[in-house]
Amino acid sequence: MKIVSSLLESIEGIRIYYIIGLLIFVVLFIVILIRTIRMSNNKIDKIKKSILTDDDPGEIMTSN
Amino acid sequence: MENQKFKYDNKIVKLFILATLVWGVVGILVGVVIASQLAFPVLNFGLEFTTFGRVRPVHTNAIIFAFVGNAIFAGVYYSMQKLLKTRMFSDKLSYFNFWGWQIIIVLAAVTLLAGFTTGKEYAELEWPIDILITLVWVAFGWNMIGTLIIRRVQHIYAAIWWYLATFIGIAILHVVNSFELPISLFKSYSIYAGVQDAVVQWWYGHNAVAFFLTTPFLGLMYYYLPKAANRPIYSYKLSIIHFWSLIFLYMWAGPHHLLYQALPDWAQALGVTFSIMLIAPSWGGMINGLLTLRGAWDRVRDSAALKFLVVAVTAYGMSTFEGPMMSLKTVNQITHFTDWTIAHVHIGGMGWNGGIVFGMLYWLVPQLFKTKLYSEKLANIHFWMSTLAILIYAIPLYWAAVTQWLMWKDYNAEGFLTYPNFLETLVQIVPMYTVRIISGVLFLGGFLVMLFNLSKTMAAGKFVNDEASSAPALVPAGARNPLRETIHRWMERKAVRFSIWVFIALFIGGAVEIIPMIFIKSNVPTLDSVTPYTPLELEGRDLYVSEGCYVCHSQMVRPFRWETDRYGEYSKIGEFVYDHPYQWGSRRTGPDLGRAGVIGGPMYKNAAWHYNHFMDPQKMNEQSIMPNYAWLAVKNINLSKTPAKIKAMQSMGVPYEDGYSEKAVDDLMEQARTISDDLKLSGIEIEPQKQMIAMIAYMHKLGKDISNESFAKVELHSESIAADPQKKEVKLLKDQADLDAGKKLFDTHCVVCHGPEGKGIGIFPDLTDNEWITGNSPAQVFKSISDGNVSKGMVPYKTQLTEEQITQLTSYILITLQKK
Repeated sequence: MKIVSSLLESIEGIRIYYIIGLLIFVVLFIVILIRTIRMSNNKIDKIKKSILTDDDPGEIMTSN
Repeated sequence: MENQKFKYDNKIVKLFILATLVWGVVGILVGVVIASQLAFPVLNFGLEFTTFGRVRPVHTNAIIFAFVGNAIFAGVYYSMQKLLKTRMFSDKLSYFNFWGWQIIIVLAAVTLLAGFTTGKEYAELEWPIDILITLVWVAFGWNMIGTLIIRRVQHIYAAIWWYLATFIGIAILHVVNSFELPISLFKSYSIYAGVQDAVVQWWYGHNAVAFFLTTPFLGLMYYYLPKAANRPIYSYKLSIIHFWSLIFLYMWAGPHHLLYQALPDWAQALGVTFSIMLIAPSWGGMINGLLTLRGAWDRVRDSAALKFLVVAVTAYGMSTFEGPMMSLKTVNQITHFTDWTIAHVHIGGMGWNGGIVFGMLYWLVPQLFKTKLYSEKLANIHFWMSTLAILIYAIPLYWAAVTQWLMWKDYNAEGFLTYPNFLETLVQIVPMYTVRIISGVLFLGGFLVMLFNLSKTMAAGKFVNDEASSAPALVPAGARNPLRETIHRWMERKAVRFSIWVFIALFIGGAVEIIPMIFIKSNVPTLDSVTPYTPLELEGRDLYVSEGCYVCHSQMVRPFRWETDRYGEYSKIGEFVYDHPYQWGSRRTGPDLGRAGVIGGPMYKNAAWHYNHFMDPQKMNEQSIMPNYAWLAVKNINLSKTPAKIKAMQSMGVPYEDGYSEKAVDDLMEQARTISDDLKLSGIEIEPQKQMIAMIAYMHKLGKDISNESFAKVELHSESIAADPQKKEVKLLKDQADLDAGKKLFDTHCVVCHGPEGKGIGIFPDLTDNEWITGNSPAQVFKSISDGNVSKGMVPYKTQLTEEQITQLTSYILITLQKK
């Protein structure tokens, strides 16, 4: 931890860490957004419906 | 492809459901008890184990970790097996998880009531339990990741990402926030001090909300809502995007709990920004949930399970809008330290968490027991009781919050606080606390209705511990050479790789926020006048922590005029460098104590006052809702631990001189004797080694080190009267209106020490007789009121009252009480 603490002695230039952090978020967000939008709808539909087709009857059973 | 046979483990799900039901009753019941204590302080029973300060953490921990925690495990253990078409990875881990968790809960309840606490909200448990939590949590995560690896479906469904994020998020938060230095089995000090402790604690506190009350519940929503409605989720793509944004953004938002407090501005701004950004992913989740029901709303009419789920998602949407709004500084000055926050968390807790749990149980229990719900009608009754309870809870508390805030900041025409006595603002909202009890009883009643309904359902059904099923084996996509499994290849497996990505996303937010706070020295400007606690003050502080005083009293004066006028100089970062843990508090049910040791300040009370007040707060002021702490005068300070405490402080960088731990006990006794001698002068006999003495010493330390600045402020107001009081002519006001006004002032300011009829309480003088040390001519009484008698604990009222008011008060004392 000594290395970290001597690197970060002063508040000067601290904004760089936030800019880096934010940049990582923005870049990742754009990448994930594009990749998600380009996923095939067919495949997505199959995943969505897959949870409804296990052994459970699914429908709610009521007594009245 | 070969069809593999396996058995689902239903028993573990059943166990967790039973635990959810049991702890649910306990948690809500304790909630009703503490709500009643705030309205009727007699319910504190005068016992140390049943005071509000100790019971309130039991309620929060029971609801969050016992009720909600067990419900999460139940929901996760059922849905993971079904989604991945496999039994859980290891039965041993499953049952270790179950029994370990229940042991933690029992230990938590016992230790919290016994007063063993770290004093950090929602992380109050002491270090041995922290270690146990870590072990159980790792078992849970290991079991999940193991199950992912042996799964029989290719894709990992959205619900499971949330479960994984929960595991990783809570693991990081719990470990980082729980670094503490043990003194004994039941006492430790947070290794962080003051502002750093506050930042770490609220980074934890806020993200405990995120990763214990939000992410697992979004996972449950993504499974149980489609199942209960029998329709696929509205948009799977939206679920991917809002997952990554939500887990990335949440970690940054913690400092919004510390706005206007002793925290660097950049950290506050960061917290606000990210809190506002959080609206987007949160509402993404809400919209996805609600739109799943498009075209199927008729089913909501017929199913209580769906009704609960819809109200849950709606409550989630409201809370996640309200939260960011509360993070705006202007709104935060209203909501922080008032009941607004309490109402906010209960909309989340009763609406969102409660709703998902109830909806899930009404669907899941009939599934597991292969039967129908015993009575849909009773479930509907539960639904309406619970929904109504939320409204009856939230509306009075919002009302209370705004009322109290308006009263705190109200100034009269002369420029003085209209309600300088904190108690006046509290008395005004106690009726709201009474209404809250009704809500709690209603919610508990609904819960019991559910308990009956579900137990009837269970009795009618047939339960299979190990349910047989079969599914084709998973052919790993892109398998390379199974003989040469390297670490790299292992990492590439989807489940593990996914977990690592989640970890990175979570880590960035935490690291960026916390590391600079801890390591950058210029963030914590030190004040030369601030000295470490003396051994006696330190012991008093530990008592303050252990009694849970921070639950009702803050130690953080925000830089508003209406706070500095009421309490004294605003709080500085450098004041708290020796505070392990910090005690800023988050709610003011009682007044702020950060300036309780500033002699001559508006909050100072002398030792005799504190003694009488701890012994019986209602004797000092009938309307007070503080529990009594009479045992402080009976129990002794544990001197055997004092040297170890000093050593622990030294190792955390508190500058006591070398070898001070040897002298600590002598110093402690010496200081204690000065206080007990002081009390003796007031006619109170108490031995110096009693806990009461340490508590008083700590009260008198608060803010003392920076009090020089405050003195200057006190003088400022008073020049006009103080110039030459002897020459000032005071004419008594004989009008009935003036005397009534004087009586009102007397009831507000004076009864605490001089009693309702002015006959004095304990050492505080009788105002009805003729023996006045400082004389009882109108001018002399006027002077006594305006200048006070600081060493005896009387505040100089010229800083709080106008000359006219002081004259009215003088007239009331001399005409009505003295019958002159």
